[in-house]
Amino acid sequence: MNERIVPRHVACVMDGNGRWAALRSLPRTAGHRAAEAAVIDVIEAAHAAGVEWLSLYAFSTENWRRPPAEVAFLMRLVRRAIRKHALSLHARGIRCRFLGVTDPRIPPPLARDIADLMMLTRDNRRMTLTVAFDHGGRRDIVEAARSLVRDRVPAEEITEETFARHLPHPDTPEVDLVIRTSGEQRISNFMLWHVAYAEWVFPLVLWPDFRAGHFRECLDLYRRRERRFGDVRVPTTTGDAS
Amino acid sequence: MTSETTTAPASLDTADLYGPDSMLRRLCHEARWGLAVARATVLEAAHPQIGAALIANSTFVAHPWRRLRNTVLSAQRLVDPDERVRRREAARLNRLHARMAGTDAEGRPYTALDPGARAWVVATLFESTVTMYRLGGRSLDGASLDRLYAEFRAFLAQMEGGEGELPPTLREFWRYYDLMVEERLENTEAAALILHRLFAEVPAPPVLRDRPAVWAAGRALAAPLATAVTVGSLPAPLRERLGLAEIPGARTLTHAAYLSTGLASRLLPDAWTRLETVMAMFDPTFTPRPGTDPFAGLRRGTAKAGALLRLLTPDRETAAEAPPSAMRFFAEVLDQTGNGSLDWPDLAAMAREIATRLDLDERGEDRLFTAFADWWRELQAALDTDHDGRISGHEYAAAAATMTSPALVRVAEVLFDATDTDDDQAIDAEEHRTLFRVAFEHDPGDTGTPDRLTRAAFVREFLNFMAGRHHSEGYDRLFAQA
Repeated sequence: MNERIVPRHVACVMDGNGRWAALRSLPRTAGHRAAEAAVIDVIEAAHAAGVEWLSLYAFSTENWRRPPAEVAFLMRLVRRAIRKHALSLHARGIRCRFLGVTDPRIPPPLARDIADLMMLTRDNRRMTLTVAFDHGGRRDIVEAARSLVRDRVPAEEITEETFARHLPHPDTPEVDLVIRTSGEQRISNFMLWHVAYAEWVFPLVLWPDFRAGHFRECLDLYRRRERRFGDVRVPTTTGDAS
Repeated sequence: MTSETTTAPASLDTADLYGPDSMLRRLCHEARWGLAVARATVLEAAHPQIGAALIANSTFVAHPWRRLRNTVLSAQRLVDPDERVRRREAARLNRLHARMAGTDAEGRPYTALDPGARAWVVATLFESTVTMYRLGGRSLDGASLDRLYAEFRAFLAQMEGGEGELPPTLREFWRYYDLMVEERLENTEAAALILHRLFAEVPAPPVLRDRPAVWAAGRALAAPLATAVTVGSLPAPLRERLGLAEIPGARTLTHAAYLSTGLASRLLPDAWTRLETVMAMFDPTFTPRPGTDPFAGLRRGTAKAGALLRLLTPDRETAAEAPPSAMRFFAEVLDQTGNGSLDWPDLAAMAREIATRLDLDERGEDRLFTAFADWWRELQAALDTDHDGRISGHEYAAAAATMTSPALVRVAEVLFDATDTDDDQAIDAEEHRTLFRVAFEHDPGDTGTPDRLTRAAFVREFLNFMAGRHHSEGYDRLFAQA
């Protein structure tokens, strides 16, 4: 049975664009541009493998510290990618969501395209793609705490479950597998609440070179780990660990 | 065929002025009635008093879609089965019209409360509806005509509080109508503006607001057709007075347009030809009546279609990503009449729009108008350096960002009070959502938990927006929508 286990929720920390470009003596922006193909490949592979939830870490709250020209480039790139792929994402039954997206520095046209993409795909259920954009895991936790205080929830009623209901997109299940490319082994403030019980894999390949084959290898790795640890995992996640 | 879904509950039957099978109520929900309303607007505008009021007070050239929506919503409320809804709307319209008075370019006084002028507005709607049926290939029989006329008279009487100035019988009505067309109507500035400019320059509906090129291409094709169809259906004496030559083929075109809309409303499913459906297509955030939306599924569908259309339409990247400058803010938000400067009609239009959207009661409306009037005096004192009664974009941009305005604080407070329904001195998630959905036509929806705003925080946000200091999607939609 375990052979068929597919993680319900896979998250990717898309790392290595800058190094990919540096290795080729190209500007960092070239790395970001090359990343688009990997994103599309991974979405397709996840979709085909039957992953129900895919989350991609596109831009952190800390990324605003990058040079303004690079930030502006990234904003344009994301906007272009949204407009280019909106229809095919919708056609595949993928619901698109964005996690974060609160900073006023996000250009209004991009914010509108993001809202349009979410509106267009909101009723799709085949797979949910969450793009963490202007995201910070700690910030989400702080916001959830604020929300609890505002709702005047008594201290004794605050449990992990009630807390989770105050996080953005509260229906998001816990992450089963995180893939961080380029060999870096850090969490980098990514979906902190949701990755508590996640399995992590750290393929050495840089994100612009990451393809469907790499993604499937990661799923295989996850499966093998499930064989070894499945029965001792805390069964709070998705019920797929039997 | 189930077009009538709004029958009154039994207890209110006696209060239903129009009866459960009201023709007028059905019309208010039919998309093709838009043709009749557009035609009636030209006839209205040719009336000297109405023409003057339109030119001085209305923002219909700069914001025709908003005016169309407000007209439709108002008409729907005026024929609502619930007497309280009708009364409230009539009172609101009367208050609104009471604020529209002055003198025209030739020094003649006008007021939007003039009973003769108001009778003419209803007369043009009635006659245009009859024309719509006739050109649509199904003339009304005698009994239906009588019935429809009686309903229109009741419509007017409701606003006037008395009988209104429409003749008591249909036979007398036609004499009155012919006389008005022959002797009273003029080649007014407003009529010319509608015929020669409005159709050709009508701004994009909200769904295409950010795609001017797409809209311009469609409009170049549709505008001459719309003009020809409207002109072709006008009474001949008026056409001559307006200096409009007979356009070859216009009669056929007019006939064809009305006939096809008539056929469409008979053959297509009811939901497709309802006015709400068509308006929702143009304006994804259009809400017929807050809380009672029988078209939720359909609206969701059209909202999605709008989103897809925007995503698929090419867009200039660099220009679109520039933050809104003070001048852009001035042109899109403040200059409601689109005449290039800020004056009282601009601010009055803003106050009207807010009062309508939030459905303020009389006290709230008065507070809002007083606050806006005070703001206008403040602006004039501080910014109108050449004392010409207007403020240019440059005058505003140069000084507004540093201005502190007690009157504008009061405007914000009215908005806040209208929103803070549970009176806890803060706008919570639900109230915030309602404010945005109803007033600003923006559903915060899935994009995150809305902030809880205290009175002070709300006032601060509003002041920042009005000074052009920061961009706010909600307010932009309220004021800038065409």
